[in-house]
Amino acid sequence: MEPYKYPKSKELFQRALKVLPSGVYGHLGPAESCFIPVDAYPVFSSKAKGAYFWDVDGNRFIDYMCAYGPNVLGYNDEDVDQAAKEQLKLSNCVTSPSSVMVDLAELMVDTVEMADWTFFAKNGGDTTSFALMIARAATGRKKVVLVKGGYHGVAPWTQKLGYPGITPEDVDNNLYVNWNDYEQFERIVKEHKGEIACFLATPYHHPIFEDNQLPEKGYWQKIRNLCTKEGIVLAIDDVRCGFRLDVKGSDHYFGFKADLMCFCKALGNGFNFSAICGIDDLKDAAASVMYTGSYWLSAVPFAAGIATINKLKTINGPEIMDKRGVALTTGLKDAAKANGFNLKISGHPSMWYMRITDDNSLMLHQEWVAECVRRGIFFTNHHNLFMNCAVSEEDIDYSLEVADEAFRILHSRHRM
Amino acid sequence: MKDALTMANINLFAVLQNLVELCKFDESSKELIQDQQITISFTIKNGPYARLIFDKGKCSFTCKHGKSNIKLYFKSPEHFNQMIEGKANPIPLKGFTHLKFLTNDFITLTERLSYYLRPNDELLKNPTYFKINTYLSAYAAFYALGEIGNTDPIGKMNAGRIPNGNIMIAVDQGPALYIEAGDGKLNVRKGIPKQYRASMTFKNLETANSILNGKIDSYSCIATGDLQMRGFIPMLDNMNKLLAQVPFYLS
Repeated sequence: MEPYKYPKSKELFQRALKVLPSGVYGHLGPAESCFIPVDAYPVFSSKAKGAYFWDVDGNRFIDYMCAYGPNVLGYNDEDVDQAAKEQLKLSNCVTSPSSVMVDLAELMVDTVEMADWTFFAKNGGDTTSFALMIARAATGRKKVVLVKGGYHGVAPWTQKLGYPGITPEDVDNNLYVNWNDYEQFERIVKEHKGEIACFLATPYHHPIFEDNQLPEKGYWQKIRNLCTKEGIVLAIDDVRCGFRLDVKGSDHYFGFKADLMCFCKALGNGFNFSAICGIDDLKDAAASVMYTGSYWLSAVPFAAGIATINKLKTINGPEIMDKRGVALTTGLKDAAKANGFNLKISGHPSMWYMRITDDNSLMLHQEWVAECVRRGIFFTNHHNLFMNCAVSEEDIDYSLEVADEAFRILHSRHRM
Repeated sequence: MKDALTMANINLFAVLQNLVELCKFDESSKELIQDQQITISFTIKNGPYARLIFDKGKCSFTCKHGKSNIKLYFKSPEHFNQMIEGKANPIPLKGFTHLKFLTNDFITLTERLSYYLRPNDELLKNPTYFKINTYLSAYAAFYALGEIGNTDPIGKMNAGRIPNGNIMIAVDQGPALYIEAGDGKLNVRKGIPKQYRASMTFKNLETANSILNGKIDSYSCIATGDLQMRGFIPMLDNMNKLLAQVPFYLS
């Protein structure tokens, strides 16, 4: 296969560098993300449809990053786009919110198992920050227990002392435990009895640069029991996993009930809104916190959200993504083995993490991923990847063909 | 706030140690020490110790205790820092007969070092100056980074987050050094290590010089590939947070 080239992407990026910090900032940009080496990757897209996006040079990619999650049904899904267009004809951002907000709230409450109410915002980080404020308002306590390596957005409290822009006061109330270590959580609760407002964690551990870890048997049930006993709010950051593992919520998937659930990525198939769901006991506290934003009640994303959630339920999206994820990851592992490499897969198949274990610098892995990207299979190096419902069996076959070729290139370079 | 001990470590290990490179690259400095056989020790109470050895045209630097012709004592890290700023004098304990070297030749050498470490656009047009400035700036910056990681309170946090292993930093056709990270402690060494878990490679001397002199930002260079990062990126990510503290100490 002829590797892709990106002359127009590079040209556009030079323009971007002059007027945007680092050209493209944040996780979609080459400087902050896992695009290694950067010249293997396109920088700008021109269009997207279904499982694919095309860059400005006309190269097509099967996209296993799914815009870092939001593409869950397939880009430009006709049902979702139609719902958004119809709402746009009526209204979007208006002084009084559209009734579609109530429709979506009812749908969320009917869909998410633990939900008695829901509240809408724009980003996952809005909801995790709000979860902390609700927990503090409800308990009158200030401390929060977080899992080391967990990601909950970019607000100052989610970052670490020593990072640019972070003061000691920003992170003073954070306590950290290791994932799957219930005893450590128990000790911290004992040491800070009556001080902890909230335990916030993802439903399973999916940090970057590390193998993902599912919860050990009984872990969540023990955490739930202790939180209930000690009056600690149990908040789950389901921003990444939500609606990919289970439309009823990832707490339901792992067999426990959270007090607060934060959702975002997969809710609107790319139309921007996020949601936090809660139990009745926390409804007054949620109402008491001043929390909003200019576009938070916009109607178009809500209409798209209704269409997305209904379609995910109708087609059983999580099952499709699980099945396709298993097929792809099994094939990738086999392709690695056939070429003398070991590719470790961890996490859930619809949102897996992968790593060539043959060197601890991960340079081999970066080389392999780069060769895949240059041939139209879009992975990033060290983030979990995402499946979507539009990926076909043919797409998976083609992806495996490319992966095999990339492994053969790696073999010829390193295992001659 | 600058931490005095960190500053003293930087002044000794990142700035004064650069005399070794200066005497390699700069002909007039080399000439100045051509006939000298003098060792100066720096003893800083509650701070670091090191010796500068001038031996017939060559300069070397060591932290090992040993014989010295000139022994300079400083009451505190602050006292040493003031001496570097030209606001205080050292307390000579030995070597009164060599004071002429200290007050003349050594001062000339440190002025020459300042000349190369404080560039302007006009000076940088000279290829020789440009090269020496790039080498000395790179060594000063990364040795300072090591000291910040080992001593500065915030720096220690970021150093503690660097996974164990070597980080290689190289400029194509230019200086190379590496940082050994082990349980939060950093050792900076010159050259290319046999093995490394992460690397940061500057495309050329021009890129390195522009970044080190603050003319272009490193994030843009990473994005364009002029600054290439490979390997176990959390090592570089946390190292870069230390690098961001360097101008605060060295400016």
